[in-house]
Amino acid sequence: MSRHETVDEQVLEVVGTLAAEGWPAVEVHWKRGRSRTLRYDPHHQVSCLRREEGWAVRAGDERRSFFFAASGPPRPDAPWPAADGGGLRLPPAQPVPSWTLPADVDEPILGENEAVALVRGIERALDTELPGARLLGAELEDGSSESQLGSSRGVRARFRQRSAHLHLEAIGPDGPVAGSVALETVARAARRFHPVALARRLADRLAVALRGSSPPRDRGELLLAPAVTCQLLAALGPLWIGPEAEARTAALGDQGGRIAGGAVTVIDDGRMAGGILESPVDGEGVPTRPVRLVEAGRLRQPLLAWWQSPEELHRASGCSLRPGWRDLPRPGPTHLYLEPDGDAAVTDLLAGVARGYYLLDVEGRPDVALERDRFALPVCGFRIERGRAAGALSGARLTGAVSAFLHGIVAVARDLTFQPLSGGMIGAPSVLVRGLELRRRN
Amino acid sequence: MPFTDLDAPGIARALAQIVERPEDVADVFLERREELELPPEDAAPGVRLRREEGLAVRLTRGRKTWLASTDRLVAKDFQDALRRVARAQPRLGYPLKQLQPSPWPEPPAAEEVLSFPAAVRRALRRRQARFRCRLVVRRHRRWLQVIGPRLASPVEREAFYSVVAETPWTRHGVLLTRLDDEAADGVARRLVRAYHCRDATPPEPWRGPCVLGPSAAAVLLHEAVAHALEADTLAAGGHPEAAVGVALGAAGLDVVDDPTSAPDAVRRTVDDEGMPALRRHLLRGGVVEQPLCDAVWARSSEVLAAGAGRRSDRHRPPAPRSTHLELAPGELAREELLAGAGGGLYLPVAERGHLDPLSGRFVLRFPYGRRIRNQTAGEPVGPAAMHGRVAELLQAITGIGSEARLAGAGWCAKGGMTLPVWATVPALRLEGVEVR
Repeated sequence: MSRHETVDEQVLEVVGTLAAEGWPAVEVHWKRGRSRTLRYDPHHQVSCLRREEGWAVRAGDERRSFFFAASGPPRPDAPWPAADGGGLRLPPAQPVPSWTLPADVDEPILGENEAVALVRGIERALDTELPGARLLGAELEDGSSESQLGSSRGVRARFRQRSAHLHLEAIGPDGPVAGSVALETVARAARRFHPVALARRLADRLAVALRGSSPPRDRGELLLAPAVTCQLLAALGPLWIGPEAEARTAALGDQGGRIAGGAVTVIDDGRMAGGILESPVDGEGVPTRPVRLVEAGRLRQPLLAWWQSPEELHRASGCSLRPGWRDLPRPGPTHLYLEPDGDAAVTDLLAGVARGYYLLDVEGRPDVALERDRFALPVCGFRIERGRAAGALSGARLTGAVSAFLHGIVAVARDLTFQPLSGGMIGAPSVLVRGLELRRRN
Repeated sequence: MPFTDLDAPGIARALAQIVERPEDVADVFLERREELELPPEDAAPGVRLRREEGLAVRLTRGRKTWLASTDRLVAKDFQDALRRVARAQPRLGYPLKQLQPSPWPEPPAAEEVLSFPAAVRRALRRRQARFRCRLVVRRHRRWLQVIGPRLASPVEREAFYSVVAETPWTRHGVLLTRLDDEAADGVARRLVRAYHCRDATPPEPWRGPCVLGPSAAAVLLHEAVAHALEADTLAAGGHPEAAVGVALGAAGLDVVDDPTSAPDAVRRTVDDEGMPALRRHLLRGGVVEQPLCDAVWARSSEVLAAGAGRRSDRHRPPAPRSTHLELAPGELAREELLAGAGGGLYLPVAERGHLDPLSGRFVLRFPYGRRIRNQTAGEPVGPAAMHGRVAELLQAITGIGSEARLAGAGWCAKGGMTLPVWATVPALRLEGVEVR
């Protein structure tokens, strides 16, 4: 048992104990969280209130190391496993730029009645938007967490986070036989979810699924909604994440060395104001910062954790993800997004489409083969003629070369939207693309 | 056993205070779990040990369930969880003598885990195979006990291993109840098979006969029978009782879920709600007999029987899921199954399957296979997917192998829960199925 009462002291006590046992590299991570989950379907309503708390140690020297994690508060007398495997290195303490805790982190999590009211509000709005449509299921989670880190290299960090996640599944007026559509969305707190806006998105998807069809093959200008672009951006992660990214993108470059159209700027920013993962440091206590990975179509640098760029530490950023106390940190996107154009409204881009498609959402996962420069993504949306919807599209596959997609992005809008993908948050605005093809799915 | 010294009668008395109606379902779920992980040899940190314990209090009344869970096994957290589930401050406290589990033992010796990668390498060498392979080996142990207002179930214990092997051309995951030379040889055999098929081209879209090896057959039955017959899945299309008596599969198809006959290390006498585990005929002669059901669904039915409630952990409410599927063996030897499927595909392994509960559409994906020629598995084919509706696929079964094997065990992910599932099944022959 620990002699100390505060977690701060308990964390440092464990660091000190293991350092005294001769381990030069020791890091202790503690996390506590609280969340409410409401699961709702026509038969049953389940309300869960979770209190989670746990801690983890990484310790080792140059030749061997171990990891130990346990529920409850940190304690210095835990039964450490025998060290094995590779040596362990930990990041040095670095100055953290000033940081103000966002006010909404302290907002209380949703009560049960509020959660039920939110879901029922979506259900009512859905029936208004598309009479006869109804929710088949909903899962709403609203939670907050606090974490602390201490290490033998002087890292001392505390951070808090707040997030809400909503999954909805709905069926149309024809009932379950016609299939269902699903929607996932996140916000910093569940009170940010807008029932009417969510119901409209579901109704659009249902209307498209019910009435849509796909041409065998077609081309044209394609306006990709954020939900579609986010999926592609996430699937193309290996192009801008990790030390191998530069080698992977080499084959995509044009004669001028651009890997994408001039409208493409990709940024990762763990400090992004208002972001779900907004934090002054990452899961290893390394300060977060905005990094421009692709700028005006040129790869500037890949997203690197501190240990992936030991000779050029200035290139690295705080991008170690550590979702829970059981997890080891691993590099990945924090808020990785395609930079929007603040002047371009989606309606402006849509109005400029003479003949093409507005792809609203995905109907499955992307299939990306970077080595063959190909991708395919099941999509749905609308056929567009002279800037107006001319029919619903469903059962189609957006396909083409990865390089054609990146070079074919000719304009981006301002409606930046994030989705939880690849373990982080991936964001994109609507984009106008040329050079891709739609094919009917079998 | 970690919970033997607990004040179970005190917990039951405290729980009884929040039960107001005879049909209320209330329980306390106590859980302790441990995972020991050996990563690939060049990875840091080396050995990884995760230990956790906690509890959940649940109350179901009418169409509502409340669950409060915590990561601390202490009286104060239990009382707090009770209050939150009851949604009221009690007039009296919930006195408890003891809610302190036995201390964790010293870190377990794990020689079988530490030596397994070398055993796989030896098995690969015996097969004249030499390629880079990164192995992650984990030992999973879990203890749990469910205490109701009147009864406390016995403490149940599960222990098994998971192995993930990655090569440049495949990622192979498997659950095992033992880590020995035979298990290492099984992992090596699959990796070598995948190596030989690594450059094979996928089969052209086609409809015809297929023979599924026991491992692939287990995935088919898990997706097309077990998931399709879970009470919560059935409820998406109507009342689960309505499925009873429906002819879903070929006439000779007897599919059972029986946690009591699972391998020793994962055998269960009660489910994760403390209800006695049943030998449950999901299909008898191809006809639905008893869908998978938990206490909440069983409460509203005279036909459905509880005993299949499973929880991935204390933080999630139980849901009806299978544990250990069995398919009664037929009479056909492997050669006879292949003989009746000339020109078709032999598919030994399925990597994953998906069932759309609303439409009944079903996809089963295979990483590789072989074309059946002259009653044997011939030239390799690349990745393939079998498509169809559940009833069509199950009606398409025309031959059942004579040798049932523990096979196809894996992680089942549904509704946010990830659970280990087991199966003892023979090979199957299907005719007229669509592969593309």
